Formats: sequence, C-alpha cells, structure tokens
Amino acid sequence: MQRLANILAIVVTAALLSVGVASAAGLGFTSGRLGAGSAVVAGCTSSSLTATRNVDNSGNVTQLSVTGVPQACAGETLAATLENSSHTSLGSASAVVGSCTGGCSMTLSGFGTVSAANVTAYALSLTP
Amino acid sequence: MRRFRLTPLRLAAAIAMAACVSTGVAYAATLGLSSSKLHAWSQTLTKGTCSPSTLFDTYVSQATPNTPIGNAPPTLLVSGAVNAQNYTFVRFDLSGCNIPATGGADNATLTINVTAAGHDKISVFPVLSAWDPATLTWNGLAGLTIGSTATATQPVNSARAFSFTVTSDVDAAIKAGVLWGWEIQDTSGTATTVISSTTNPPSLSINYEK
Repeated sequence: MQRLANILAIVVTAALLSVGVASAAGLGFTSGRLGAGSAVVAGCTSSSLTATRNVDNSGNVTQLSVTGVPQACAGETLAATLENSSHTSLGSASAVVGSCTGGCSMTLSGFGTVSAANVTAYALSLTP
Repeated sequence: MRRFRLTPLRLAAAIAMAACVSTGVAYAATLGLSSSKLHAWSQTLTKGTCSPSTLFDTYVSQATPNTPIGNAPPTLLVSGAVNAQNYTFVRFDLSGCNIPATGGADNATLTINVTAAGHDKISVFPVLSAWDPATLTWNGLAGLTIGSTATATQPVNSARAFSFTVTSDVDAAIKAGVLWGWEIQDTSGTATTVISSTTNPPSLSINYEK
C-alpha cells in the first residue's frame, strides 16, 4: 500500500503540474511563435539604414535623422544609441515609426549633451 | 486502502518538479521574445580634418554701392560708420574635403587676421545663397539670403588673429552640399576694422565625421 500511495502521489503531482504547464504554455505559445517566426516572418527591413546627425554651434548633437525607413516599419520602435570609441553609450533616444508613404524620415532627439566629436558610432535597432 | 499522506519527502519532490518545469517554460518564453523581429545594425563614423584652401573674399562698401571691390583685395574692411559701412564676405570651397552630405562637422573655426582693430564687436552671419566676389556690391546685398542671427560675436580690440566658432554653419553646409560662407559685420559701433586678405588670409579649420 505504501508503494501505491507513492505512485498515486506522483501521478497527482504530475497531473497538477500538467495543468500549470499547459497554462504557461498557452501564454508562452504566443511568444514561442514569435521566436520561431524569426526564421519564417521577416522583419520590416533587412537594410542598414543611414543615419546623420546635426549639431549646434557648440558641437553637441541636437538630433539624429534616419531616412528611407520602409513603410512596413510603421508602428515599430526605432532606437539609436550614440557610442564612443569604446562602444560606451553617450546617449540614446527612440521613437515610434509613423505611417508614411514611400519611406519614413525619422528624427530622434533628446540625447542629452553629447559632443559630436566623441561619437564614433551609432547603434540602431527597429523592434516591433 | 491507506489514506494518502503528504510527507515531507513527497512535498519536496513536488516542489522540485514544479521548479524544473517552471524554469523550462520561462526560458522558452524568453527565447521567443528576444528572437522576434528585431533588426539591429551599427554605423561606424570616420573622423577627419580639413582646411579648405580655396578662398573667396571681398567686401562691399556703402560709400560705393554699385562698385564691386573684387575677389581677394589686399585688405578686407569691416566698418559701422554711418553711411559708410563696410561688410566683409568670405567663403571656402569644401569640395576638396570630400565630405559626403551624410557627414557633418564636429567643430569648425573661422580665423581672421586683424591688422587694425576698430575696438568694436565683430559678428559673423551665415550667408545662405550664392554670391560672386567679382560682382558683389552693397546694393547687391538685397538679393542675398543672410541669416538674421549671428553665429558668433566677439570684441576685436587688438591686431591679431581672431577665431570664430562656426560649427553649426559648416555642419549645415556639408549637408546642403555647398558653403556660402559668412558676412562679417561691425555690430557695436562705428569704427573700422581691417582684416588681412592676401598676406594672412582668412582660414577655415574643420574637424568632421563621415
């Protein structure tokens, strides 16, 4: 009987956990499909779009412009980080790509006081 | 049949199994999020310096409003004298710097060599339209587009070199593909300042990125 009780305990535990797993898998299924979708669902662009920055007369970055963002990227978030030669972030900003025809021109601002002379790279991303 | 009893061993086994399964589910969810349609890229900038050698400079005189002084006179005059004002104009050809329109100025400095100080404040204003030193006159200024706000101002109290920070103007010119230079005015008095043109001509120093 002791053995039967142990078996029963394991079965009951497994059943309860299965319910929990099924519930979690239901939640995870959506994100799981996103993950798997990276091989199936293409992003809005695969191009490395060119960015240019403007400066004030003190040489500080006032804004970063990215042109030619595809219309398919509307609703996604464009993020940019200004990096120095050690790839340390000097400032970052982001904005949601709006609806546009042909190609969107995005302007990011609010990087703080960042001297353009110290910026050696832009790190950019588009995320849904 | 005996009643099922929750012993410490059974409880520990149940907790351990739950922890393992939860970890697995959480890990799968994390993978799914991070690998979704993220597109990331980087753009590396190249730094450089340039001092354009091709200079165009002249001045216009209110006293002779229809007479061009011409390119590269021996001296350039800046005067606030009533009815006898003089404005100096300088510009540089940036094409030799080979900076694409996607580049920009990190900093830029315009230097003039003053040979006779008027002890007034001198301001540089961006010129935003084309001009030819061979034909520019006082009365021709009406056809020019000149920024209403001075890019830089400083007192000129002695005969020496003076440098003006013109970073924003040069940055904008790089993006526009052409630099139309600056109008240099006396903005505080009526004196005359003399700037060397041929011996120690105005110069422009640019630190840029592309």
